[in-house]
Amino acid sequence: MSVKRDFAVGLFVWAALLTMPFWMPAIGGYTGLATRVVVMGLGAMALNLLLGYTGALSFGHATFFGLGAYGAAMTIRYLVPSTPLALLAGIAVAAAAGAAIGAMIVRRRGVYFAMSTIAFGQIFYFVAFRWSSVTGGDDGLTGWTRAPLSLGPLTLDIRGSETAFYYFALALFAAGVGAMAWILSTPFGRTLVAIRENERRARFLGLSIERHLWLSFVISSTLMGLAGGLYALLNNFVDPRTLRYDQSGEFVIMAVMGGMRSFWGPLLGAFIFVVVQDVVSSHTENWMSVIGLVFILVVLFFPRGLLGLLGRRAPA
Amino acid sequence: MTDIKLPPLRRRDLIAGGLALGAAQVAGPFVRTARAADTVKIGLDNPVTGTYAAPGKNELDGVKYAIELINAQGGILGRQVELIAEDSTSGDAGTAVQKANKLIDRDKVNFLLGNVNSALAAAMAGVSSQKGVLHVVPGGHADAITGANCHWNVFRVCNTTQMEANAVAKTLATKYGKKWYYITPDYLFGHALQAGMQNANKALGGETLGADLTPLGTTDFSANLIKAQAANPDVLVLLVQGDDMINCLKQAVQFGLDKKLHIAGSQQEMEALEGIPPEARIGTWVMEWYWNQPGVPHVADFVAAIKKRTGRVPTARHWFGFVSAWTCYFGAEGAKSLEAVKMAKALQGFKLPPEVALMPDGAFYRAGQNQLIGDLYVGTAQGQGSAPDDFFKVSSVEKGVDLAGTVEQSGCKMTWPT
Repeated sequence: MSVKRDFAVGLFVWAALLTMPFWMPAIGGYTGLATRVVVMGLGAMALNLLLGYTGALSFGHATFFGLGAYGAAMTIRYLVPSTPLALLAGIAVAAAAGAAIGAMIVRRRGVYFAMSTIAFGQIFYFVAFRWSSVTGGDDGLTGWTRAPLSLGPLTLDIRGSETAFYYFALALFAAGVGAMAWILSTPFGRTLVAIRENERRARFLGLSIERHLWLSFVISSTLMGLAGGLYALLNNFVDPRTLRYDQSGEFVIMAVMGGMRSFWGPLLGAFIFVVVQDVVSSHTENWMSVIGLVFILVVLFFPRGLLGLLGRRAPA
Repeated sequence: MTDIKLPPLRRRDLIAGGLALGAAQVAGPFVRTARAADTVKIGLDNPVTGTYAAPGKNELDGVKYAIELINAQGGILGRQVELIAEDSTSGDAGTAVQKANKLIDRDKVNFLLGNVNSALAAAMAGVSSQKGVLHVVPGGHADAITGANCHWNVFRVCNTTQMEANAVAKTLATKYGKKWYYITPDYLFGHALQAGMQNANKALGGETLGADLTPLGTTDFSANLIKAQAANPDVLVLLVQGDDMINCLKQAVQFGLDKKLHIAGSQQEMEALEGIPPEARIGTWVMEWYWNQPGVPHVADFVAAIKKRTGRVPTARHWFGFVSAWTCYFGAEGAKSLEAVKMAKALQGFKLPPEVALMPDGAFYRAGQNQLIGDLYVGTAQGQGSAPDDFFKVSSVEKGVDLAGTVEQSGCKMTWPT
């Protein structure tokens, strides 16, 4: 794919993201929905670092999303009402869990890898579900809100203003996605792609597959934790469903639908998923069928995802 | 030999088709916003799918009927009322929160109603109180909503679990004995119900012989029933709900337990009794509203109107929805404004008029807690009463004021925005 084309796509994506609160109402949305797109997009892109670039299918990434969410929520609820600290705590918890779980499963491949990620995810789901005195159980954790952000003399009212929170989330999204783009451009990132393309060959070249896979898993979990923390702050609420396997499945759907071979594909997938869910579910209770239909059409006709479509026309 | 050629399915056509479909999906909201500028909007965020679909739909019917009446008499503050209903799902609090945000931010509703599931109601209350929108909870029972987690803007129509437990406990303890055994659904609402019953029984000097927690969706209760029988309690307290209640009651009757000990529980609903065969409609329960109230003014009109709309008698859920929508009306008319704080102030201690209260002793929103306090109906389920849909025989009408405790006991410390 040409550099020029990459640049044009990037420019378009950022322009769309920066103006999203303004055009979202025109397609039946609202600012909170725009924030949701950005947060879910970050989650799907974080998963894609592992899925699309390293070639390892994790069906349990909601674990890190949920841990990030609970980490952030419980920090504010029990420790200190500070938004930055909450996010840091969420990220730290998700990264730690990613490091521990990753170390245990990097030797598994294919379906065994995927099954292990589901199993670990369900452990955390049931802990959150049953430990109701701390996590609020099935009722979720309420009684807290994100705190306004103080930047020295300035205070950014991300609690009262949905628009302010959108740009706050977008800034963190930019930081996360920027870090991901940088990582992918380094030799480490190229090695991940090499592992995806031909693991045995990479191993014969003397690369430590397990260590690379582990690092990729940890980075992906860390970014997932950031997305989860933002999600909790967006809703001012967190419940065990953020940890469950169906949430993991939704991230996989977003990534595959948008195009897991392209950098921005998962964001497009998240956009479609979130907006279609929101709009269609107001009209019919069977909104999942619509998503399912779109997903099947994409898998059948554009196996490289919706954004893969663009890439195919590029000069080879 | 020639190949058979099918007309090619071109990618371009598919994309065009997809775009057309997409456009059709988003076309709806445009229409709604266009005509909605001059109406007062009530947003209902309640389940219409899943376990609580039946009560959710009944509440929706009650809300619709009330809005029809309100619009027929000129609307709220002279403006017609528009209902915007969203499916919250039965158990996904994240979706309920998202829909609450959607109703408030995009649709700019003046009132938020919901939810059947108390967990979802509590989560929605977090949104509504942060955004300062008047919120009426029709049928979520967890005590905290008007207790420890109360908010100035959140009003509740149905009773607390503790009130229901208190209503039935005295009857059970004096009539049947104080040694109780529990079969309880294993989630927060079930735990709260059991704690409420245990508190009430303890206050009367009773004891707990045992308690079985059963997972939601249990179909075979035989092990629990045998265990309960062996413990030989005076009363077997069934706190399971919905389909679990139907299965548990059926099996208890098949085992002949109803001949050996008394079967009872706190909350019972018409939706469940309608699903139980006549011979298993037994036991002592609490209803929060019942349609067969001879001599209470306006009740017959309400029953006839709902029956005409849905073909069935109204349940407590219809009444919850009905009262919730009228609460919006009384708040706005009392405050002569749609400002949430003014409306919430106007509703403090507000007594519902008899044509809305539909209870012998009336009902009012207790100041400082925003909890509606009316009557509770204690009685027994019956196979067949005087009328085709008469599945419950009311033995006593308990006054809510005697059961609710004080505002201090509820744990509600209300703070108002400055």
